[in-house]
Amino acid sequence: MKTGRPVLRAAPFIETSSGAAYGSGMPEPALAVDVEGVTKTYGHLTAVDDLSLRVGAGEVYGVLGPNGAGKTTLLRMLFGLIRPDSGTIRLFGRTWADDGVGVLDGVAGFIESPRFYPYLTGLQNLQGLALLDGDSPRGRVEEALDVVDLTDRARDKVGGYSYGMRQRLGVAASLIREPRLLVLDEPANGLDPAGIRDMRALVKRLADGGLTVLLSSHHMDEVEEICDNVTILSRGSVAFHGTIRDLRGLAPDPGYRLATTDDARAVSLARAGVEVRADPDGGLVVSGPRTAVSQYVAALVRADVELLEFVPTHTPLEALFFMLTGAEPEPAAVPPGVPAEVPAEVPS
Amino acid sequence: MRRTILTLLAVLLVVVAAGGAGLASGRGGDSTVTRARLERSLPQVFANNYVRMTHLLGRHDVTPASLHAQAMCDKHGPDVADVGPGGDWTCLMSWTDPEVPMPPEGYGKFELNVHANDCYTAGGPSKLVGFLTITDQRGNDVDNPVFEFDGCFDPSSSNEATGVLFPSLLSVTSPSVAPDPRGRIGVQVTCGTGSDGCAGTVSASADGSSLGAQPFSMKEEAPDTIVFDRPLPAAATEVTLTFTATTGVGPPKPVTLPVS
Amino acid sequence: MIAAVRWELRKLRAQLRAKAVLLAALVGPVPIVLVIHGQSRPPKDSLFGRFATDNGFALSLLVLGFAAQWVLPLLTAIVAGDIFASEDQHGTWKTVLTRSTSRSRLFWAKVLVAAGFAVVTVAVLAAATVLASLVIVGRQPLVGLSGQTIDPSSALRLVAASWATTLPPVLGFTGLAVLLSVWSRNPAVGIAAPVVLGMVMQLVGALGGLDPARQGLLTTPFDAWHGLMTSPRFTGPLTQGLAVSAVWSVAALAAAYVLFRRRDITGG
Repeated sequence: MKTGRPVLRAAPFIETSSGAAYGSGMPEPALAVDVEGVTKTYGHLTAVDDLSLRVGAGEVYGVLGPNGAGKTTLLRMLFGLIRPDSGTIRLFGRTWADDGVGVLDGVAGFIESPRFYPYLTGLQNLQGLALLDGDSPRGRVEEALDVVDLTDRARDKVGGYSYGMRQRLGVAASLIREPRLLVLDEPANGLDPAGIRDMRALVKRLADGGLTVLLSSHHMDEVEEICDNVTILSRGSVAFHGTIRDLRGLAPDPGYRLATTDDARAVSLARAGVEVRADPDGGLVVSGPRTAVSQYVAALVRADVELLEFVPTHTPLEALFFMLTGAEPEPAAVPPGVPAEVPAEVPS
Repeated sequence: MRRTILTLLAVLLVVVAAGGAGLASGRGGDSTVTRARLERSLPQVFANNYVRMTHLLGRHDVTPASLHAQAMCDKHGPDVADVGPGGDWTCLMSWTDPEVPMPPEGYGKFELNVHANDCYTAGGPSKLVGFLTITDQRGNDVDNPVFEFDGCFDPSSSNEATGVLFPSLLSVTSPSVAPDPRGRIGVQVTCGTGSDGCAGTVSASADGSSLGAQPFSMKEEAPDTIVFDRPLPAAATEVTLTFTATTGVGPPKPVTLPVS
Repeated sequence: MIAAVRWELRKLRAQLRAKAVLLAALVGPVPIVLVIHGQSRPPKDSLFGRFATDNGFALSLLVLGFAAQWVLPLLTAIVAGDIFASEDQHGTWKTVLTRSTSRSRLFWAKVLVAAGFAVVTVAVLAAATVLASLVIVGRQPLVGLSGQTIDPSSALRLVAASWATTLPPVLGFTGLAVLLSVWSRNPAVGIAAPVVLGMVMQLVGALGGLDPARQGLLTTPFDAWHGLMTSPRFTGPLTQGLAVSAVWSVAALAAAYVLFRRRDITGG
């Protein structure tokens, strides 16, 4: 993707967004997405349980959780693909009940990997979708293809596209709607590292241009890099709501893997506050508060124990993520700002 | 797959419900194929085809109206209701053509195969309607329009009885007679389709001596064996049967059968 | 809704199946007419079969009777039975339902395109059959179903009208195929099931004891044209057939609409 070019009309979104949907006099609602008490069950399986969520205009919001946590179900409900059993969903103040498909004005995105008609070309697919948007197809479709760098393959049938190309076509299909809210379900899923990097750069640029972005992921680092606020889902319920900074505050200190020239000596130098033990795979694992660990490392250096390797075992947020959603059944919502009980040993 | 089966079952249910609705609408479970409707349709269709046949032969003296065709129809004998499709409809039909007189019983016997969609195929007796092909004026062999023809009737046409009745025809079916150990003979006869069956007496004689008279009484489309009490004279080579029918029509002239 | 209709038409034009069906309807009758015309023994067990080898009008009516058995339901089911289920097959519901066209409008656009295709295909088949029959076999006077003789120009009008009477039940099958397409989400079921159901219905209709059911079957109207070929003509089955076809269409489409509106799209 072309990272050097300005994004498709992202800047005017800021100016035109106020009052555009509501005509004269009425202010643009501050909330792009307002989900309240939404529940969805399939038989005995609860996919989403009394979920509430608010995304302000201009925010970049991440919804995080392992597979099966309910992220995709939530996003499908935003798009009207699934009907919630209870609760309300408002997009820019509009609801499905009151406004029907008008709810999706200014909203675009895709669920899981985007799908198109394999017997039509990329261009034909986009022109068709533009028809369904009620617009005249011409200029915008070609611009969108240019932004995602598919212009030279636009006249090939989508059946021959690679996964990454289809992902880019999905982004183009979203851009032709000139959205104010972009909803992306695991946008980097299935892409190679270059594709992932480009996708994240594009989302960041769109967000910087004033677009509200709601994205879901099961990779903490993706969310950490670009999101302002995050909700962590576990088995359909909220496990955490808040800013990235709050999340970092909750994170336990990471463990470090250590390889030295004299492991025995290193172990004996452990002081209060730092725990050093032998790793069955070789080397040592050190855990403890950051300041204590850095003092320990300084002590090792003074004692002429050379460090061959000093690497964190997980990022702190990954560790927190597993803790919040992983092995142990966690109690429901953790209010932001209140630290949860953090065990000394981080389960890997 | 389960959904497919459920779907098909649901549609089947709808079909049956449609049937129930049709029942409730007052048809009472009867078919549109009825005796009265066939008795009205067959003569018309036959007459039109018959006139075409005469035109092929170069005759122009016959019109459908002049034929005065009339039919009495019956489905499979006296014990089956005259309603519903099937290949077992028999219609007795008479018409007036100066060149083709009716046989003594007054009609020709047509077999009809009637379908549930109110259409039928009819075929008639060759001695009255001809064979599969006829020779037209130019000498070509062409299909005989009345040998076998199709027709359809209006399912909402009148179902009132036409009142057309023809007598049953009694015919002898044994090709010969064979005396039993006591010298008595039996003759197989059958009573054909008609209004009241066959009844009357038949007397037999052989070599000038009488074998007596036996009464007979049969329903339509029923066979019977008439056994004479008096034994056959030893040297007799043939038997002559004389029928007197009080109901139905019997052979008009005495029937002679060889003794086997 | 015009935009949605245009979109569905574009998709249909891009697919091989629609073009193949139209081509088959246009060209298929020619070999059929040639084969029947060349038979030494005419097919006497079908209506007008006994005249079909020598009479163009009779031949086209024979083909009509045959087509009603499974060809006509198949012609409409190929598009109507696929037009919803193919979205499931390609996983594109989540793509098209997240634009600015409501489910309702998309539904009716697809139904309209399916119905239009059915009408066009039947018209092409009828025209091709009649034309091929008249050109190859001839325009001889026709013997009607009351034994009457029908002159060629009247026969042409009646034959055309007879083909036209197949449209209501065909549209009934369009509705049925749409329902099966929406319900099963499987193109094979959407295409094959209406044809199979049609054959089952014909079987039921031909049985003697089930006449009340026969009045409600969707295949019974395919025989209603018989009344046009008798003298005097009768139109009872035609009006009844129109009503029955309408009931089937409306009921099937209503059920399909409800199913479609309420459905949760959980897959592709």
